[in-house]
Amino acid sequence: MTQSRESENRSARPFPTARPSGCPFDPPAPFAEAREECPVTPLRYPDGHLGRLVTGLQSARAVLGDVRFSSLPAGKRSPVKVPGSELSTDALPAGMFVNMDPPEHTRYRRLLSKHFTLRRVRELRPRIQEMTDRLLDNTESSGGPVDLVEAFAKPLPMLVTSELLGLPEEDRAPFGHHVDVLFSLSSSGEEMQQSMVLLAGMLHALINAARKEPGPDILGRLTVETELTDEELLGITTVLLIAGLETTTHMLALGTYALLRHPEQLAALRADWSLMDDAVEELLRYLSVVQIGPIRVAAEDFEFEGQSIRKGEVVTVSLPAANRDPQGFEDPDTFDIRRGTTRHVAFGSGPHQCMGHHLARLELSIGYESLLRRFPRLELAVPAQDIGTREMMVTYGVPKLPVRW
Amino acid sequence: MRIETDKDLCCGAGTCVLAAPAVFDQNDEDGTVILLDAAPGAEQRAAVMEAAERCPTAAIRIV
Repeated sequence: MTQSRESENRSARPFPTARPSGCPFDPPAPFAEAREECPVTPLRYPDGHLGRLVTGLQSARAVLGDVRFSSLPAGKRSPVKVPGSELSTDALPAGMFVNMDPPEHTRYRRLLSKHFTLRRVRELRPRIQEMTDRLLDNTESSGGPVDLVEAFAKPLPMLVTSELLGLPEEDRAPFGHHVDVLFSLSSSGEEMQQSMVLLAGMLHALINAARKEPGPDILGRLTVETELTDEELLGITTVLLIAGLETTTHMLALGTYALLRHPEQLAALRADWSLMDDAVEELLRYLSVVQIGPIRVAAEDFEFEGQSIRKGEVVTVSLPAANRDPQGFEDPDTFDIRRGTTRHVAFGSGPHQCMGHHLARLELSIGYESLLRRFPRLELAVPAQDIGTREMMVTYGVPKLPVRW
Repeated sequence: MRIETDKDLCCGAGTCVLAAPAVFDQNDEDGTVILLDAAPGAEQRAAVMEAAERCPTAAIRIV
């Protein structure tokens, strides 16, 4: 439906972030209202910019697959003020391929994809199982209760990523600290800037070390097999870190929480572990932890699904909303590990779709299953209403998950 | 059923290999699609449809 500019201006909503009270797994209610009107609706950005919000599954796929909706940083803005969103993007290192369009984007993606193919990722299974078991040994011997975020959901993706990048053991703690600061609600802009600089310094040192003595890890192989510059490698490793740590951590913790809050589903899974892959897909769909963006900027004026898109308009896709679209999923607000659908967009869509999705799925399925098998009586150690949520962060989740067994 | 793939569009996500491993594979050099069977039998139909539908860049066409 075509609306006049004025009526779009009048009807533009702000981007909602508040989760319905008592339903920490449901997206903010205004998304469903917007989607009922139209899968693409006017959106008001914090600085007054009039852009668009995408809440429908098919529209989300169409926007993310259409290169006229550009990924270049120029003009991009966040639909909400989140920590770090005010930081300048002018000085992004080369190689930040998430902020590129084809064909530049394609060049980087082709160089990296070989390390994330289904075959390569499946070879990692025994190592990831080993790391998981060791973490659970430590957790179990502590006797509990523990905060599952700190004890398990943070360290597992960190161990996996460290191994992929060849990060030495002694660097992992400071590395983890800086990543924490970058992704914490309580960090100031100044602290974030400082951690960004220190993290870049550590990554530079890592790249230098890989050039001198290339290991079998991804970074080592990139230094040997490609012509990528140090600056490009810095951008690439930064992207791999940002993409691989936070998302997996919060899927592990929030996913465990969701299972604990749906005891009949958890019992079904415990009774039949062959449901694990379907359970992972349903958790990805139902929780959709990437809650702000992907964000695109219209590169030209064009017609899209009957609407006049103007050059420079900022378009924000809501993955949680798209994954609850009744046009795409029957009874979309019901959590059902037997749903057996993989049509969700939890990893995005289009040329920028998460490159690490096979790895994420593997970490999640090993993580959930090993945790639940190790602790047959796993339960919350505090009342559910005491579990907080991360509403004003790019990645949704729980800041703490106290559990006992 | 006949299948065509567009290597230029392919982003190497490997979703097709997950959906229909008998029909699709990934190149070890750049992750892009390798068509193992361009005219698979009817028993592969559902898997191939799923692969085509889930392909993030719509690089698989059923003709």
